[in-house]
Amino acid sequence: MKRYILKRMLLSIIILFFVAMLIFGIMRVIPTSFVEKKAMERAQMPGSRSYTEWIRILNEQFGMSGNVITGFFNWLGKVIQGDFGDSWKFTIPVTRKFAQVIWDSFWLGFITMILRVIIGIPLGILSARKQYSKTDYAVTVFALIGISLPTFFFATLLKLLFSVQLGWLDLFGKVGRDYLTLGTWGQALDVAKHYIMPVLTLTIVSVGDLMRYTRTNMLEVLNSDFIRTARAKGLPERTVIYRHAFRNTLIPVVTLLGYTLPSLFGGAMITETLFQIPGIGYTSYQAMLEGDIPFTMFYLMFMAVLTLLGTLLADILYAVVDPRVRIE
Amino acid sequence: MEEMDHAGRPGENIPTDTQPLALDDERRVKVLSPGMLVFKRFVRNRLALTGAIIILFMFVFSFLGGWLSPYHESEVFKDYAPMNKLYAAVTENEEFRYVLAEGATFDSTAKSKMILAITRGEITFESGGNVYGLEQEGENFYRVTSASVVASGKGIKNQFKLQPIEGFAPPADFTQRFEEAVRAGQKSFVTADGQAFLLRTSKVEAKVLMQADLALASKLIFSGEYSDDFAFRLAAERAMQAGTDAVFTADGQSFGLTFSERGVATFTDAQGATVGQASHFVMKASQVGTVFPDGFAEAVQDAIARGDTRFTLADETGADRLYLLERNAKEYIVRTELDTYQIKIYSTPTVDHPLGTDGNGMDVVTRLMYGGRVSLLIGFVVVFLETLIGVVLGGIAGYFGKWLDNLLMRIVDIINCLPSLPLYVILGAIMDAEKVEPSLRIFVLMGAMGLLGWPTIARVVRGQILSLREQEFMTATEATGLSVKRRIFRHLVPNVIPQLIVIATMTLGGVILTEATLSFLGLGVKYPLASWGTIINAVSSIYVMTNYWFVWIPAGFLILLTVLGFNFIGDGLRDAFDPKMKR
Repeated sequence: MKRYILKRMLLSIIILFFVAMLIFGIMRVIPTSFVEKKAMERAQMPGSRSYTEWIRILNEQFGMSGNVITGFFNWLGKVIQGDFGDSWKFTIPVTRKFAQVIWDSFWLGFITMILRVIIGIPLGILSARKQYSKTDYAVTVFALIGISLPTFFFATLLKLLFSVQLGWLDLFGKVGRDYLTLGTWGQALDVAKHYIMPVLTLTIVSVGDLMRYTRTNMLEVLNSDFIRTARAKGLPERTVIYRHAFRNTLIPVVTLLGYTLPSLFGGAMITETLFQIPGIGYTSYQAMLEGDIPFTMFYLMFMAVLTLLGTLLADILYAVVDPRVRIE
Repeated sequence: MEEMDHAGRPGENIPTDTQPLALDDERRVKVLSPGMLVFKRFVRNRLALTGAIIILFMFVFSFLGGWLSPYHESEVFKDYAPMNKLYAAVTENEEFRYVLAEGATFDSTAKSKMILAITRGEITFESGGNVYGLEQEGENFYRVTSASVVASGKGIKNQFKLQPIEGFAPPADFTQRFEEAVRAGQKSFVTADGQAFLLRTSKVEAKVLMQADLALASKLIFSGEYSDDFAFRLAAERAMQAGTDAVFTADGQSFGLTFSERGVATFTDAQGATVGQASHFVMKASQVGTVFPDGFAEAVQDAIARGDTRFTLADETGADRLYLLERNAKEYIVRTELDTYQIKIYSTPTVDHPLGTDGNGMDVVTRLMYGGRVSLLIGFVVVFLETLIGVVLGGIAGYFGKWLDNLLMRIVDIINCLPSLPLYVILGAIMDAEKVEPSLRIFVLMGAMGLLGWPTIARVVRGQILSLREQEFMTATEATGLSVKRRIFRHLVPNVIPQLIVIATMTLGGVILTEATLSFLGLGVKYPLASWGTIINAVSSIYVMTNYWFVWIPAGFLILLTVLGFNFIGDGLRDAFDPKMKR
């Protein structure tokens, strides 16, 4: 087991190295005129450095003018020491900006994940138990609609309903206008209120996957021999479903959740942007649009690490719960 | 599960005849081809059928609809609507305006010399070697005469011998009057026919200059057909000096002059018809070709004098038209409702435009049709690209295994780690900065999505091929000595196709969603091209979102339905291909 985990981790590091190389390469492929334009824009800001100085800084930071390979290793050397440079847009070190915004994304993702589990798993089981019933069809259609809903469209519909028609919630933002006058509880409630629509959007759009995944696995388990045995033995249906079937369904579902665990920190770029929640997604979106290369590089690397971590976690969890995997 | 079991087990289709059939009766066994079986199972799945109908509708709507629609993709609709617009600007005239006598020239140097002479109170001035006479006819009303030498002569002690210049025929009493003037020490004399002459003498030389009317300088503004007629202007303004109604003649015609209460002078000809007006205000129409209605100048001045901000005046059809007057420093601005040719933006649904028009004045239904084309096309092209790369690389990895498999799968891992949406956003931002052509953008976008999307398909293909490779029929192909190419593409790939179709259908929905999201963010398909996401982009203005639902809600539902349709079909296909897996 230890060997397996070690092997997987080593592989992940190698993959990460190449991903970093690729991301660095992509940022270098960006047309120089784009970079020059950005330098020009920056130079024109009041009190800024001169154009040539900006170009020099840029080249120095990312090895744009020099050799790709040496540039990459220079950059990588700094990154390993945790130095991602200063964000151009936010004018503070990238990592500090990241520390400021990550928790909003985390809480959004965390609440969404809990709701997903609470809604998705029971509905998936229900749908599997009553296969081909009206309930099953309803759940399937609901799940598929969730999967097919464009996030931005659903978010806009929610805004139209709750903000414009009913006037209950604010259109944008994480806090209301009188946030500072509120007490601690009031502030928490205010933020919670502003989280309602983003969480609702994220939940509806993502719950379908878990629902269908649970259903598929539950069906597989329900068709297996030990369930038939359990039924033949005369166990009550409740026991069959919740003791025998559900526990076995949990194996792949937990694996899926393990896979999504790191993505809690990944932020939801579109949803955060639509509701202007200052999480990592919205921040990065702004950074990317404005050509803030240091922040963008950091964000891309961060996402890659999260994906790798997710895969790693899922694989390890799978190996933990299913010993057959370890043999390979 | 009972639906497909009928097809799956044909033995159950026993006809309920009274005569029992023999076991080997061929009527008992209905053989269907595998393709037919899949089709039958697919059609029996209600969700899958719904999905197929939705997608069929989308295709008809986008491709046939766009072809049948009477409008073009980016046809802008315009109409006339009354709009409060700038009609005229009125200013009090404070500069001299000049009316020239026929054939005369009076250049700007001379004009400025004249103004200088007026301020100094001189009656003559010189410019460009010419001598001009200036006569004040009234307040701010001057007549400029040119004086040219008609005769000169030398002499002594007031005895001059005049020599007329060529082409000048002196009147009969010219010499006599000249001598009288010289003797009296006068500077000018008038002959019997009323012609005035100026006299310039020194001790040894004398010059006679003839005066001719050259121009009128006045601060009054005339309108009407005679406004540039010198004789009329002269006579009219002379008549106006008295400040009362009068009759005057000019060019042998007789004209009437009447003053309104506000001091606007109106001229009538012998028949009593109005031929023009004079006032101190300049009226500039803001649109070329505007003809001010009768009495406009008077009405404006009335309103200015009263301090009113609005007045009404009958237009050419006799209907009252409201004019709004506002003061802007020294200028008065007149506004009125004019029929304006404008772009119909956000017009509410009508028969002509069932879903109204969008912010660019384009028909929403037509935009949806063309947008559907782009969205579906991008979906299909991207999925085709992904499948192509995925099948080739996945097939190679699965078939050859060993280090090649390892290498390709690591590449898959690496590409899987690249966050695709952020990369598309960066790509869009760069293309924005580089101002890439809208049509080129689509291709770049499709290429990028294809390049980042293939790993999923490659994995599935590899997995399938890995398991198929171990089966007996593959051993058989090896034993019969088929070429590797033939083994892969004739025997392995066809067995992967069912899975492939399912995955591709599901991916289609995802690709359309991604494209719509990017276009919504303004980073995908760009105006003037349409895509469903671009159309919903209109909601970035809250006002549009709240008030013009017909622009964005239909597009959203079209995206939802299309993606849902593809998901239904994918689901149904998976069940139809592999009934054991049906869940």
